[in-house]
Amino acid sequence: MNDSAWIIDTDIHPYIDPQRVADFLPQPWRRRVQSGNAGPGHLGYWNPNGVRRSDVFAPDDSPEKGKRVDADAATMVKHHLDRFALSHGILNADLINVGLSPETDFACAFMSGVNEAIVTDWFTVSPRILASIHITPTDPQHAAAEIRRWAAHPQFVQVLMPSGSRTAYGSRLYHPIYAAAEECGLPVAIHPGTEGLGVSGVPTAAGYPSNYLEWHTGLVGSYLAHLISLISEGVFVKFPKLKFVMIEGGVSWLVPLLWRFDKNWKALRQLSPWLIHPPSHYAYEHILLTTQPIEEPENPQQLQTLLAMMPIEKMLMFSSDYPHWDGDTPDFVGRHIPAAHRQQVLRDTAWALYRLDERTKNTNPHHASKSIQNLKSKIQNPYVPLSNHELE
Amino acid sequence: MSLYQITSLNELPPGARKLVTVAGKAIGIFNVNGQIVAVQNICPHELAPICVGRVDGTTLESQPGQMIWGRDGEILACPWHGWEFDLLSGQCLTDRRRLRQFEVKIVDETIFIAVYS
Repeated sequence: MNDSAWIIDTDIHPYIDPQRVADFLPQPWRRRVQSGNAGPGHLGYWNPNGVRRSDVFAPDDSPEKGKRVDADAATMVKHHLDRFALSHGILNADLINVGLSPETDFACAFMSGVNEAIVTDWFTVSPRILASIHITPTDPQHAAAEIRRWAAHPQFVQVLMPSGSRTAYGSRLYHPIYAAAEECGLPVAIHPGTEGLGVSGVPTAAGYPSNYLEWHTGLVGSYLAHLISLISEGVFVKFPKLKFVMIEGGVSWLVPLLWRFDKNWKALRQLSPWLIHPPSHYAYEHILLTTQPIEEPENPQQLQTLLAMMPIEKMLMFSSDYPHWDGDTPDFVGRHIPAAHRQQVLRDTAWALYRLDERTKNTNPHHASKSIQNLKSKIQNPYVPLSNHELE
Repeated sequence: MSLYQITSLNELPPGARKLVTVAGKAIGIFNVNGQIVAVQNICPHELAPICVGRVDGTTLESQPGQMIWGRDGEILACPWHGWEFDLLSGQCLTDRRRLRQFEVKIVDETIFIAVYS
């Protein structure tokens, strides 16, 4: 199954009800969640449009009319994967905030329960549904055990941590997580949105922002800090096969940050003597970014100029973020990616990173429904929108 | 250009909307506080079906720290990314893109829209 027209979506958010997770929890945690306490919650920053899109329901002209697309595996396959010609989608649950609970025993049990719920309710429906192993980074030993527990499952393709954290992720506290991930051949990923929650630091380096616009724009700050920390502390020297995926952190900040990082390294390398190459070398060998939310400068050419400064053909992967409010569709992203690298960004890099050759060899390559076949011609050439509506 | 009959005025009271497909175009017709407007059901940003979005007021331009609510019923927010559009002018509040508008005619309490087919 290596049809170039198909796309891989590296960031989808299924709606997983904490009450469903409770079904998989040992006592007393099941009773706790059933009583209404599912962890540290959010700071309450208000998005006037809602964090999840308001139109997540299957269309009126479909048999699933009115059903939530994000809350049911079969509906998601049909109305998200098929609709956008996605061969595979990787699920990342919103519930990663619970991994930052100060109640470590509960957090560990809960994140294990999230993984159980995904295996039971989502993986069984379609092999096209993949997911991250959700872990509790505040307990790296438990996290490593959870990684090893699930690593053999062909549909778990990476390890996911919240980008909100108590300490930047290069710290050796977290190295047991990277050791387990590398041993199992799994990338480690971070996802934003938990900044300021649970035991994580304040949401920005400058303290508490005053509204959702500020908070959300500033999330990139933790990505800068994690990237600097991972490289500086030698994570990729110690774990040379490890790949690190920075989901939904944006793209445009990377190159200028690395310029600064390389310049500082030239004077200060004795503090990180294990870095025998400039920091940018490790970034381009080990870090991957996902596209959404792709930046949209008034002059689109400026984004093209920026993308040309980095090896996007090996470090950038398509993500929709469906069904969150700032998601992107494949056609929208595809039009922003230079044609020469579009196939790598939309498919090939993710295919290789997540070892989908191995994972799919025992599954039926023609598993996808007819609608994907119908969509293929639209995707290839020219790069037209997949919307039901035609532009005038 | 052809005129297409949509519905009667009393079936589209203030605050109501109706989604139709006319001459192959998906169009939303809104009663904005008594004024009937018709816009194409495509967001000019990422092509979302914008006409299913929230119709609301919004915070008006103000001094820092001031929150002044206004324009109730005049603002259409896209269900995908929340971009706000002025239903009366079609203009996005935060971008130069705008909604495609269609001419509306009321004849004997019946709403028609003019569409090139």
